[in-house]
Order: sequence, then C-alpha cells, then structure tokens
Amino acid sequence: MAARLPEHGVTPGHPHGDAPSRFPGFDALDQADAWDPVTAGVVLARLGPLPPLRFFTPQQESVARPLLDLILAQHEEPRVPVFEMVDQRLAELTTDGWRYEDLPPDPQAWARSLEAMESDALAEHGHGFAACSPDEQAGMLESLLDLGDGVWHGMHADRVWSLWSRYACTAFYSHPWAWNEIGWPGPAYPRGYKNPGVGTREPFEVPDAGPLESHGVPSRGTDGDR
Amino acid sequence: MRTILRDGSADAVRDRNASAWLIPAGQRRINEKLRAEMRHYDDGDEIDAVIVGCGAGGSTMLQRLARAGWRVAALDAGPFWDPDRDWVSDEAGSHHLYWTEPRVIAGTDPVPLGSNNSGRGVGGSMVHYAGFAPRFHPSDFHTASADGVGHDWPFAYDDLKPYYEAIEGELPVSGEDWPWGDPHRYPHAPHPVSGNGEVFQRGADALGIETRVGPVAITNGRFGHRQHCIYRGFCLQGCKVNAKASPLITHVPDALAHGAEVRPDAMVVSVEVDERTGRATGVRYVRDGVERFQRAAHVIVAGYSIETPRLLLHSTSKRFPDGLCNDFDLVGRYLMVQGAPQTGGRFADEIRMYKAPPPEVSSESFYETDPAKPYRRGFSIQTVSPLPITWSEHFAGQKVWGDDLRRQMRDFVHWACLGALCEFLAQPDNRVTLAGQRDRHGMPVAKFSYSQCDNDRALMKEASSTMEQILLAAGAEHVTTFHRYAHLVGGARMGTDERSGVVDGDCRSFAVPNLLVTDGSVLPTQGAANPALTIMSVAARAADRLVRRPDPRG
Ligand SMILES: Cc1cc2nc3c(=O)[nH]c(=O)nc-3n(C[C@H](O)[C@H](O)[C@H](O)COP(=O)(O)OP(=O)(O)OC[C@H]3O[C@@H](n4cnc5c(N)ncnc54)[C@H](O)[C@@H]3O)c2cc1C
Ligand code: SF4
Repeated sequence: MAARLPEHGVTPGHPHGDAPSRFPGFDALDQADAWDPVTAGVVLARLGPLPPLRFFTPQQESVARPLLDLILAQHEEPRVPVFEMVDQRLAELTTDGWRYEDLPPDPQAWARSLEAMESDALAEHGHGFAACSPDEQAGMLESLLDLGDGVWHGMHADRVWSLWSRYACTAFYSHPWAWNEIGWPGPAYPRGYKNPGVGTREPFEVPDAGPLESHGVPSRGTDGDR
Repeated sequence: MRTILRDGSADAVRDRNASAWLIPAGQRRINEKLRAEMRHYDDGDEIDAVIVGCGAGGSTMLQRLARAGWRVAALDAGPFWDPDRDWVSDEAGSHHLYWTEPRVIAGTDPVPLGSNNSGRGVGGSMVHYAGFAPRFHPSDFHTASADGVGHDWPFAYDDLKPYYEAIEGELPVSGEDWPWGDPHRYPHAPHPVSGNGEVFQRGADALGIETRVGPVAITNGRFGHRQHCIYRGFCLQGCKVNAKASPLITHVPDALAHGAEVRPDAMVVSVEVDERTGRATGVRYVRDGVERFQRAAHVIVAGYSIETPRLLLHSTSKRFPDGLCNDFDLVGRYLMVQGAPQTGGRFADEIRMYKAPPPEVSSESFYETDPAKPYRRGFSIQTVSPLPITWSEHFAGQKVWGDDLRRQMRDFVHWACLGALCEFLAQPDNRVTLAGQRDRHGMPVAKFSYSQCDNDRALMKEASSTMEQILLAAGAEHVTTFHRYAHLVGGARMGTDERSGVVDGDCRSFAVPNLLVTDGSVLPTQGAANPALTIMSVAARAADRLVRRPDPRG
C-alpha cells in the first residue's frame, strides 16, 4: 500500500476552478493512499509534469489546442492538459494500432486533419483556426459533423471526428480532475466496493447535489460510433 | 449465499487441473518459484508440440498436452504478465494489455479493433475480457440445417458438452441454474447483484422477460488459493485480485507444473513445412531481435481470429504459394463479429454501475430463431458497465461534444447500461487478407474487411429496441443506444472436408496432418453467446482427440 501522500495541490472538483460542483467536496485523490502503488504511480503521474512537446508542429499546435478545448469545453485554466497528453501519445506511438483503410496511421491522420481544418479556416474566415472566434470554431466543427460519412479533404468526416474525439476523451477522462467532476472514485484496488445497489454509496462517495442545468440527451442523431 | 462449490467438485478439479492451488495463498498473485523453475526447451530439440499464442485456446491446449506427458512449449508475442506489477486499476493505464500492433480495417461496416477486440501476452484476450462464460445452445451446431443460415459444425452440442462441464469447473463459472439451451447448473453460486443488475432484473420482470444472474467466470468464494471478487468493476483492465478467470491463472500454472514451457515475448513470423513430406516442421519466431526456429512434431496455431489467418497467409512455400492450408481460398474467410449495441438508461436514482464486475445478469430469451420474425437466429442481453473513458466515447460517437458532452458525463452515476450480442452471420467476404503495410518485424499486417447483411442489421435493431424497452420499464427517464461490435471468431473454420473448412472437427488442418488450429478462428458460427468458454472447450476436446490419436494415419 502506498505511503500516506502529502496533501495534494490543485484538485478542483470541477476542472475549471471554483465553478459549482455536482458532487461538492468529492475528491478522488482523497482515497489515493488506499490505491495499490503501481496504480497510484500511473494515475498520479498525470498530475505531474508532462514531457516537452515532440509531435505537433507549431502550426498544427495552433489548431489542435483550440480544437481540443472546443471538443471538451475547456474554456479556461486550470485545464486538464489534453493537448500535451495527445502530443505524448502520438510521439510515443501509443496508438490503438488499427486504422481505417482510407486513413493513414493516427499520427499522420492527425497532422493531415489539422492542416485541413486550418485551410478551411483560411478559406472561410480569412484567418487561421486559432484566430477564429469561438463561434466560428464551433461552426466549423459543426459543419464537419454535418458531413456524416461524407468526404472532407479526402477523408471520411466521421472517421476524422472519431479520431479526434477518441484521443480527446481518453485524455480528459483519464484525469482525476474529470473524475471529481463526475463523482467517480477512480482506482479501487485493493479496497473494492462494499455497497453496490441502487441509491447506495460508500462512505467516501458523495451524493449528487442535483443538476447544474437541465438534463436531456442532445438531439443530434444516434449514429453508431464507427 | 453459498460460497462453496455446489457439487463438491473442487477436489475433482484439483486432480485434473491444480492451477488454482499452485497460486500462492497470500497477497502475491503469481508463483515465482514455478516460473523460475520452468522447463526450457532448445530450439533444435524436436518437441512434441509448439503452440503459437498463449490465450484462451492455446493455454488450454498447453495444459492438456502437458498433463498427457507431451513435451510442449507455447510461444506468445506478449509478456508473461505479473498482475501485481503489470496491471493497474485504471482505464487509460491498461492500454498495454491490448494488441496494438498495426492493423487495417475496411468494408462497408469496418470494425474498430484495439482495446475492444484482442489482447496480447500470456492469458490472451481473457486477461481483459469481461468474464461472461455462457455455453452455446444445441441449435448453434446446426444452423444451416435448422434455419438455412450459417454453417453446420462437424460435431454436435452433445460432443462438446463434457468439455463445457470440465472447463466450467476449472474457471470456475458462477451463476443461477440455467434454463436456456441445454438447461444446466453452475459449480459456483450466483454473485450478489449491483445497481446495474437490479435495474435489468426490474425492467425485464416488468415485461415478463426472464433473466438469470451469471454466468460469470469469477470465483464466488475462495477457489483453491484464488480470492473472492472485491466488486471493483475493473474486469476489462485485468483482474489484480485473481478472482476473474483467465488462462494465466486457470491453465498456465498447471501446465508449468507438468513440464510445459511458456516462452513470452516471442513473435512467431511463420510456420514452416517440409516441401517433400508436406508436414509442418516448426515455427520461425523473433525474440530479443533474433530470429530463431523451434522444431516440433506438431504445430498448433492459436493466435486469435486475426493473427491466426495472418500467420497462415504469411507462411508461404512452394507447396502453399497462397498461404498455408489455403488451397481452397478459405483462410481468413467467414470471420464474424457480434453486433454488440449498448443501451444506456438515465435514472433519477444513483446507479453507480461501476461498483461490480460489468458481467452480472443475462437473458437468453431472444437467442433462438423466432419464426414470427423477419430475421433468423437471435441475440442475448447482458449487463455491461463501461467506465468513464468508454462512456464518454459512446457520447462522442453520437457527435455529442463541448458543454453537452461534459453535462452528459456529469450524469455518469445515474446511468445503467445493457449490452446485446447479436448473432451476425458468417459471410465469405468478411475476412482477413494481408495488407501492403508491414509491422516492425517486416511481416505484412492484417487487413480486416467487414460488411453487414440485412439479417445482421435487423437483429441489431431489434436488440436495441428490446434493451430500450427494458430500461424504460425499469423506470429510466430516457435511453440512448450506442452501436458497436464485439468478439471476433472464425477465419479458419472447422468443416467436414477441405472445401468447407480449414480444419476438421478435431481442429486438425486438412492440408497439413500435423498442424492444428485451436483458437476462436475455428468456430463456424458464433451463436449469441460470448465465445471464450466455447473456445476453451473446443480446444480441450481437440487436445483429447490429439492425445488419443497423435498420428491421423496411425
Ligand atoms: C473487451 C473484451 C471483452 C470481452 N468479454 C468477453 C466475455 O465476457 N466473455 C467471453 O467469452 N469473451 C469475451 N471476450 C472475447 C474473448 O476474450 C476472446 O474471444 C478469446 O479470448 C479469444 O481466444 P483466442 O484463443 O482465439 O485468442 P486470445 O485469447 O486472444 O489469444 C491469442 C494469443 O496469441 C498471441 N499471438 C497472436 N499472434 C501471435 C504470434 N504471431 N506469435 C506469438 N503469439 C501470438 C497473442 O499475444 C495472444 O496472447 C472479450 C474480449 C474483449 C476484448
Ligand atoms: S470486479 Fe471482481 S472479478 Fe472483476 S476485476 Fe474486480 S475483483 Fe476481479
């Protein structure tokens, strides 16, 4: 079992500072001393410094940063360092291995799709993606999604979306700050759970304080996640 | 709740497979001494059998042959896992459990691979499988005769039944008495049910749909020195507790104790044949960057439904210019995936579906062909409980992003989730071929093409709407369905002759008498059941037949 950890630093219940939380006071890291040491090492490393950027060119970076912020609604600091995490995966080739026949391997597919987004921004708005307003950026993402399985710069639009969103989600929801936001305790070995069942909680789980906003599945279709 | 084996068969299991007793009793998950003292064969030594792949089918074969006194080694491309050191209780941190070497997917309905399909390393894909361990139904063995779809197996359910019973004891499987297919009981009593299972039972009860708890290959109570499940929900990331069965703990320890060798980190690049005799002579493999050749009297391929066809297609010779055993262009064909839509239901209550093994409760009420329906064959429904990364990818797959995505995810504790397994039909053009791209060994990578037929699509639709009705009947405020696929089998199927299959009912290839295939590749149909138990049982049967008749002409 891990030694008692020093008090952790910034662990916002919501990645965006002091915004109200659905699970007030819940902090997955409070349980870190109950995690096995190998798991704790892997998870806590996400809170530490990341390696310097190695994969994206500055021009690709200028598109990828705002694009990932847009996909994950990370509008302000402190941010989960999603861009840096994606750069690390692509530099280290920690990919899922498979690729669609009509797309190159993930690193090249990222490079190509970001460059395509930049060229769309220049063509439509006369300036690069980074200089676009939030509305312009959102509009460009919407038009890509509206293409469905149509072709965009020689690539199936839905496959480009699948590429971006898989990397974005994997990075963001691997981070303890995101777990705090959704009330999920993260690692559970060797502790396990003792109170399964509808409406039951462990002593360290925090009840949902109620919606910050009204619920409802957004109305965009139910296309498969192919 | 009973926590002992119902029929007292633990002793009987120990007599034939002592794996669970060879694991240390304390907090250490592996038997270091057993591994350190493992036998090592020389490459030039003609061993009785070399096995390619130490997963579900390969490990079962290894243990059975070692028990029979064969000198046998299993080579696996991945590591010899140590659950304490190598596995984590974390979703993103488990990426190394999957086969992530390059592969290309194609067809009109390409199937994403990686984390959702196959594993690497000793234990194979069962290291990170969920743990559902149902049998196939008797009807699965003759769908062509009965329903006019699929392909009849070269043997019947009754031929496999004793092996099902044996493997269910060795895993062991826990569950309620099973009313479907061939009704049977399980060696371990059912596990208690969590919020997700409760929801499934409630909704199904309201609609008059039968459900049962199980069948899961997760110990309920101690089994040998394996410990009880701690209900932590990370089964798909590898069980650090040794509660969930995988061959790493259910078959490999006993194999080692009987003189078998497991050679990890050894990537097999071809099976060699003697041009004169037409017999397999052994395998070429790469370890530590050095290419080697292991001689063997039998070669047994068990590398998973993609890697097995890939290896056979890549093993060319004068006798087999189009790939080993591919005289009739059958290798790689009739590959199947199950349509595996997942339906989530959002409840006012907190469900917290992560607080249990994802596999809990099933229904096989829709498994068989219903003459009133426009499609043949059927589906089963089971609990699944995706962790946050997978859950967020489901929404992203529906093109939910930005604030909407974050809002959906903040509801994570309110969702319950069911998954269906739809029996997609075997089709010749759903297949593995070799792509132009090569991996780091210089070996062409597999290209896997998949296209659905109308029957497949109709089943997916029906299964999705059934799951939606169940969750709504359980009180869900709203439901949503995510489309996905699971469980690849086929690609080197069993047949009655060389024009209908790559191997016969004993898993022996028609073309090369001392070459066997004993993994999921040999399945001619897939039913609506998770395949691992059947893969292991088919391998156990093949081992039995091989030991009794090592030379088919003898
Ligand atoms: C997320 C997930 C959940 C699942 N859930 C379930 C479930 O609940 N129930 C169920 O029954 N099934 C489940 N499955 C499927 C099940 O795990 C597989 O069907 C089964 O393990 C396949 O067995 P196999 O013997 O064909 O191959 P595997 O078990 O995958 O073994 C193949 C082995 O061969 C090795 N190998 C491959 N090529 C080579 C080579 N060239 N040289 C050396 N070694 C090689 C690999 O490293 C691997 O270890 C699940 C799978 C996944 C991915
Ligand atoms: S839930 Fe149980 S079986 Fe699954 S990984 Fe955890 S301890 Fe193992």
